[in-house]
Order: sequence, then structure tokens, then C-alpha cells
Amino acid sequence: MSPAPSAEKPLAGLEEIKKNYPASSAALMPALYEARRQFGWLSPEALSAVADALNLPKAAVRSTASFYGMFNQGKTGRHLVRICTNVACMVLGAGSVLEKLEARYGLTPGGTSRDGRFSLAVTECIGACDKGPAMLVDDDMHTDLTGERITEVLERYE
Amino acid sequence: MMTLTINGRKVELEAPVTILEAAKRNGIDIPTLCHHPALELWGGCRMCLVEVEKMPRLQTACTVRVADGMAVRTETPRVVAARKAILEFLLINHPLECPTCDKAGICALQDLTVRYGAVAGRFEEGKRVFPEVVDDPVIVRNMKRCIMCTRCVRMCDGVQGASAIGVIEKGARSHIEPFSGGRYNCEYCGNCLAVCPVGAIMSKLHRYTYRPWQMEKTVKTICSFCGVGCTLRLEVRDESIKRVSAEFGDGVNNGLLCGRGRFGYEYVDSPERLKTPMIRRDGRLERATWDEALDYAAGRLLEIKKENGGGAIGGIAGGRATNEEIYLFQKLLRAGFGSNNIDSIARLGLLPAQKILEDIFGQGAVANLISGIPRSEAVLVVASDPTRTNPVMGLEVRAAARAGRKVIAIGHIDGLRRHRTRRLEAKTGPGQETMIMAGLLSELLKIKPLSGENPEFEEAIKAWGKTLPGPDEVEKATGVSALLISGTAADLKDVSTSSIIAGRELASSMDIRTNMMMLAALGYILNSRIFLISEHPNEQGLIEMGCSPEMLPGERPVDVRTFREKCEQAWGAGINPEAGLTLMEMIEQAGASIKALYVMGEDPAFGLPSRGRVKEALGRLDFLIVQDIFMTGTAAMADVVFPALAWSEKDGTYTNLEKRIQRLKKAVIKEGIEDWRILAEIGKRAGLPSRYRGVADIFREIAQVSPIHAGLGFESIEEGGVLWPYKGKPLSVSSSPSSAAGRFPGSGKAVSISPPPDRNVLKLVLDKPLLHSGTLSTHSDALMDLTGGPEARLCPETGGKLGIADGDAVKVSTGEGQISLRARLESGLPEDALFISNDFREAGAFELFGYQLEPESKTPVLTVQNLKVERL
Repeated sequence: MSPAPSAEKPLAGLEEIKKNYPASSAALMPALYEARRQFGWLSPEALSAVADALNLPKAAVRSTASFYGMFNQGKTGRHLVRICTNVACMVLGAGSVLEKLEARYGLTPGGTSRDGRFSLAVTECIGACDKGPAMLVDDDMHTDLTGERITEVLERYE
Repeated sequence: MMTLTINGRKVELEAPVTILEAAKRNGIDIPTLCHHPALELWGGCRMCLVEVEKMPRLQTACTVRVADGMAVRTETPRVVAARKAILEFLLINHPLECPTCDKAGICALQDLTVRYGAVAGRFEEGKRVFPEVVDDPVIVRNMKRCIMCTRCVRMCDGVQGASAIGVIEKGARSHIEPFSGGRYNCEYCGNCLAVCPVGAIMSKLHRYTYRPWQMEKTVKTICSFCGVGCTLRLEVRDESIKRVSAEFGDGVNNGLLCGRGRFGYEYVDSPERLKTPMIRRDGRLERATWDEALDYAAGRLLEIKKENGGGAIGGIAGGRATNEEIYLFQKLLRAGFGSNNIDSIARLGLLPAQKILEDIFGQGAVANLISGIPRSEAVLVVASDPTRTNPVMGLEVRAAARAGRKVIAIGHIDGLRRHRTRRLEAKTGPGQETMIMAGLLSELLKIKPLSGENPEFEEAIKAWGKTLPGPDEVEKATGVSALLISGTAADLKDVSTSSIIAGRELASSMDIRTNMMMLAALGYILNSRIFLISEHPNEQGLIEMGCSPEMLPGERPVDVRTFREKCEQAWGAGINPEAGLTLMEMIEQAGASIKALYVMGEDPAFGLPSRGRVKEALGRLDFLIVQDIFMTGTAAMADVVFPALAWSEKDGTYTNLEKRIQRLKKAVIKEGIEDWRILAEIGKRAGLPSRYRGVADIFREIAQVSPIHAGLGFESIEEGGVLWPYKGKPLSVSSSPSSAAGRFPGSGKAVSISPPPDRNVLKLVLDKPLLHSGTLSTHSDALMDLTGGPEARLCPETGGKLGIADGDAVKVSTGEGQISLRARLESGLPEDALFISNDFREAGAFELFGYQLEPESKTPVLTVQNLKVERL
């Protein structure tokens, strides 16, 4: 993934998103999702590009982006792993999953593996309490995690 | 009518207001933190909680409206406990560094803590820590002190319309930041720090040098930067202005200020201020006593008059002088030296534009209230950007856009770019607004029924309108789509009140008459109030006080005997019946028919186009007097220099662009002589008796001489000023309906519009930066820190073609001269334009511009030959 929008790889697709909403401010959240999807994180350049495309104040765009934990504004590895540590997942063994990640990939919450492949974040509830422990890898949901299953899943991501 | 009780007291109200407002009107104080009268209601801080009978929970007084029969209690034990609890929560995080905080003493949080005694906290959490952000030149951010009332954000978004800051993150980590996280890079109005109830956002100027309670006095006066005439409060200690502020409810600005007004005051204390008079001896300016300088100045002028006649003497006055000074200045030249060669920078646009409009509609045609702008159904902004030149008036345009009014920007109006406006913007650089207006006007004449108020005038407009280019032709010439023009016209079809704002860009043009006729016709059709942007605080005063070669005080033509006689009687001297030379004519005649110039508060060697030639011309004079606060380029060439006082050091009046006369009040007393005394002393030596004890006496004489000011007393000009029409008589030119038509000259002829410029040729455009306006602002450290220096702005595409990158040093040259400055690439600028301002001594645009006089108004129209830009 590219670090930030540039002349060679600009932020694309926002015109399409804008068409679905009556006002450009309503398109802000989907636009931020799109920017994060394309670049992996919301760099200041990406936020500027969103602001320009939607003709919204940059400060307002940053304000919205900073409110939501999933709009990560720090640079991440190629894949962002979010492990839920809320009550249900924690009871079902999120702790041992985290331990496994540290042992196998050297990943700690907030950190990135040395090869730049994964970044890890702990997250609040992602709505899979019946199948915990659960995690998101980028936008994919994975449930019923165990120490073994998680490495199996993550090996699918290059 | 509704009746309620607050704290057992019966309160009667005509209309429902909030509990807070009802209490305030009855002298009951309810504490607030997030509420501010200038801002949208929010109800976020919960400080104003009150008990309302029959309502189970406490209510926020700032958002709940009163109802008939309501019983409110504002200080019950339950209310007090709630407020104390809120303070306790706020103080979990507040650092309590009052001893080192400049806000201490005027801090809402401090006052409330004292009032409710929330002294003991029961929480063990650590305090949140945010580093102090001091990397901004004028604003300091201290987010650990922030109580998240969001007043600053609501101000920046909802009033200033700059939207430069926002709440970043959430919960205990929330804080206020600009996009960059560091510097604001905003419009620097400082209205955010004005509404901050605590010390979280503060001015960096004079930081740690005073305590609010140590201020010796606060003086309410008028700002000296532009023609809006904002009311400001100067807070003074040790004979120095420590802070400039404005309170909600103050003046035309209603407590708002721009960056120049709020941060630009330091020039007053500049060590470069002139302190003593100077006389040129053996080619060098040397210090002299007042008597020496005054005797010498008057003596030389009398000699020159004797040898060459009064017509050999000329005077140029600046737009920062007070009415009283300007009046005395023209009196001195007219009655003391027999010369009508008196002019000012109002010649560069405001005066000729106003005259043409007044010839059509009558005197006072452009005297309209700024506060009416957001109430108009439509607002047309043409060619000039009010948000840069008259920032606080610009806020009213933004308010109109926010309120859903139809705001139409004709030309490149940067300050409205992000606001809800319809933009009629030529594909290429500025200068094609005449054409765009013509398209709009021709379309409006087709579809909008006229009011029938003045049938003859309507006939004249219609006849003229037939020769106007239609939308298709305009599209071809300017690139503004015909559909957009006709759509805009359709949008304006049902408008019954509107405002039009235009400025020097339309006036300093070979098409000035066509432009003004367009404004007049659009104004008539749309029932508009017309506003002319005024760059100087007393530009209007220059016109009204007779500081022009053709007009006596009260804007009476000098060639009419009865008007002359009135002045002659009052002044005890004869007046030359012939109109004198205009601004540029005086310069051109320097060394020829003009032998001596008296320049008061102006710097022609800097502020007039074709700077090289102007300097040469000044050098040809036999005698040059300059009265100024700094050693300007012109002063350095003078034979006598008088040190002037700054705006904060004198009393007098300014007249703003609404034609509102306002009192300027002395805040700081410094060494030096008031400017009017210098003029009166020279007058005495030229045989003009002076009986003035102070500016009030001069104003009395003005009221006697100027018919429009008749009946006005200096002391009667209270807060809010005196509005047009003043008590006296306006000049009657078009009281009958037919004369407006008669004074719509050229209506029989085809419209003449200069051909559109070649799109492929780079054009030099005079830039108007928000934070600078010439000499004074460059002596203010804060404003200099914000800008850094002169810049040539161009769009990245053009930069690319020329091989210029952002920040590169470039050399710009024309047939007139050359300058070196920094290039700034900005997207969104027109491709064929290079913007350079004339605010910096080292590299000003007037070094590059030549000029050509518009034959009728004698306003200099900027010209450019052989523009070249090279990377250095």
C-alpha cells in the first residue's frame, strides 16, 4: 500500500461516493473509509484530499476522523489486525490470542511486526460476541479464534 | 405576554426568550461557560443548570425557553450542588496554574470556583497533559487548560467562517487543534481567543507582561486599518497598549475583529517612530526644533506662492488622518496658500466610483448599513474580496451565505470559496467582471419585471441594456457558462432586496463608468444597497472633508460661487474658483507647474503605481513637506519632516464606509504634537487665524462650513457614531425621478467594454493580503511574523511551466522596474495571473505597475508591460 495520496496515486473514487449523498458532509464517513481502504491509514495528505474532494474544512475532516478509533491516523503495516478485548471476547480467550501474536510475530498492541506485514490494535466490541474471540484483519471478520487458528488465518495475508 | 417567576420575582415578557436571557434582563446572574451571545446555543457545559418547578430534572437556562407560568429558581441548594460538582469535574483536569496564566483575574473558571467554592476534589486521576503549543506567531494554545466549551470552534465555524480548528479525538483526550496540529495557518482574526473563557487559547503578544487588573485604563476607540471602522478597546499600561479587544455588542463589528485590528497595534511602540521635526540642511535631514521647522515650512511655502502663485503648491493627504486633520489640511492649502491642488488615495477608486453612483442616485447612494447585508435576500460581490480588504464586512457576507441567502461571487473572490455561493468566475484571471456583469444584467432585464418606481430611469437602463452582450457572448469571452449566468439571473428573479459589494478593482479601470453604470442598473433592478469597499479607515472622510481638487467640505463643487462664498466667509480668505490637479497630475507636474508638495500621512514614493517615476518626480520638487509617523520613502526625500501621532494617540473622528462618523479616542499620550496643531501653526504663519482649543472646536467649524455636517456637535457623537444622513443637507442632484435617467449618461450609446485579455499571456494582478495593508502593518512585528515577507502567488501549473517551485526566489520585472521575492504556489488560482501585493517596502507591486489616467475620473489605471518572471 502507498503511504499517502500523491500525484502518481491520487485518492480515487470519491466522486462516485458523493453521488450517493445529498450533501458532501454526509459523504464524509464513507469517503474516509474509502481513503483508509486505499492507503491503509489516514495520513494528513489523505485527510486533505478528502477535504478538497468534498469541499469541507480540513479541520472538520480531521476532527471527525480523529473521533473514530477505526480511522487510524498512524502508519500501519500492510495489514491491520484488530483484536476485540471487550468482556465476551476476553472471557472466551482473547488474552491467549494476544499472547500468541506476540510470541509468533512479535506483535504488541500499537506495534508493527518487524517485516512490516502486520500492525496490531486492540479494539472495542466488533459485534461478534457469540463467536469470540473475534478480530478484524483489515475489513475481514474472523471469529472463534484460538492460538492455532489465528496463525492459520494470518498466514493467508501476505 | 407571559408571566413567570425567577427566584420568586415576577417577570413579564413579550416574547419567549431563554431562561438565561430572561434572568439577565432582570438583573439575575446565572453563571455560564459554554454560552456566548455571539454563538449558536450549545448547552454543553451544564454550568447554567437551574431548577424549574414541575420539571423533575435541572434545566440548562441557556437553551430552555421560558413559558407562561414557569417558576425558576437559580441558586437553590440543589442547583449549587450541581454546579459545584461540574466544577469539581472540570478541575480534575485543569492544571490550576493560575499564578502563571495570563487569564487569571478575568477567567470564568477561576471566578466560578471562587463563587461556588469547589475547592476540594475527590478524584485521584492524574491530570491530562498536553504540551503548550507556542510555534504559532500570535496565538498560544494550552490545551491542558481547556474545558471543552467549544466556544472557539463555534466561533471559527459559525461566525468567522474560517473553520480552521476542530475538536480532535474524544473523551478525556479531546482537545482543540487546527488541521496542522501546530500552526493555525488561518485568517488569524483571533476571535477564538476572544471567546475562550479560560487561558487555553491566548494572544502571544505582550504575554507575561501584565496582569489584567494592572491595566491602567481601557479606551474604546475606532480601528485604524480599514474603512469598516470597528470599535476596539485598547488596554493600556505604562503608556503602552498591551491588548486590543472588543466586546460583544461593541460597534459595527459587534465585538468581532480581524487580524490586523487585533494583532497589528505594535507599530505604535516601534522604536522607528519619528520623534522630532527634521529639516534638510546641506542635503541631510537633521533634527530641528518645532519652531524652526514650522517657520521654515510656512516660510518656504509662502515664498513659492509669491513666486509662482498658489497653484504651484499641492497637498496629498492619507486615509488614516482624522476628519479634523483632513479638514484643516485642505483649509490650509485652499485658504492659506490659495491652491486647490489637494487630493488623496481616495482618487485610486473610492472617490470616482462614489461620485458616479451619487450622480445617478444622489448623495448618500452608497451610505448603507453593513448589518443589513445578511438580511438581504441576495448579495452580489463583484471583483473585490471584502473578506480580505474589509474583513469584518466580509463576515456579514459569509453570514448571509450561511443563512441561505443567495450569495453571488462575480470574479475570483477567494474568501468566499468555501462558502455557499454561486460563483461566476472567469476561466482566466481577474479583470473580466465587467463582461460577466453585462451578461447577468442583460439576462435580468429580459426576465425580471422592473418596479416602475422610476419609469424614465428604467427606460434608460433598458435602452442601454439592449446593447449589452448576452450570456452566450459572455461565455465565449470569459468561459463562464451561459447556463450559469442565466441560471443566476433566474435565481435573482424574485429577489426584492439585495446588497452589492464592489471595490477598487472595478473603479481603477478604463471601464470605470461602464462598471458603475452596471452597478447602478443591477442595483436598481435588484433593489440593492450598494457598498463600496474602502481600504483606509477614513477614506470616506477624505471625500467629505473636501480633500479633493474639485470639492469643498460637504462635497460641494468648488466652481460654484455660493459654496465657495460660504467657506470664504468662515475662513476669512479667498478661494481659487478653479478645480485643482488630481493626485497623479500633481505628481506628473512635479518640478513643472507644481513646485512644492505637502504630504500628510501618505507615502507616494511607495503607495502609487510607477514607483520609479513617482520618486523621480518627487525629486524634481523645490520643496517637500512630509508629516508621518515613520521615515517613509517619501519622508526620506523631504525638506521638512514633521513627526505625526499614531491613531491611538489622538482624538478626532473617522467616517467609515457606511458614512458613519465615529469618535477616535486618545489612549496613550506620547511625546509629540497633535497633527492638527501642526497644520494650525503653519496656518497661523500663513495668515490664517487659529482659535482652536481642541478637535471639538475644529469639528464645530466643520459643522459650520460643510452643509452635510450642519448641526452636528462633536460631543453629541456618542458610541455607535452618527449615521448618514447627518443633520445637514445633502447635495440635491437627483431628487426628481427624471434626473436619475438624465444622469445615466451614455445610455443612448452602445456599451463599451475593454476587450478580454489574451488568456495565454501571464498577467500581473495587484494582490490584497488579509493581514497587511501597507506601511503601518509592516512595522507590526506580529503581522510580519505571520506573513514572513513579500510573495508572488501563482498556481502550480503556471509555476511548472515557468520552472518555479514553491518557495523559490524569483525575479519579476516589467518595463517599470524589477523586484525579487519568494514564489508561493497555490492551487485554485487562475492560470494566467501572478499576484503580488504592494505592502512590502523591499518588493512591492507598484515597482512593476505603470499606470494610465482614465480621462474622466483621472483615476490611475494600472498597466503592465513586458512582464517577465525568472527563477533566481
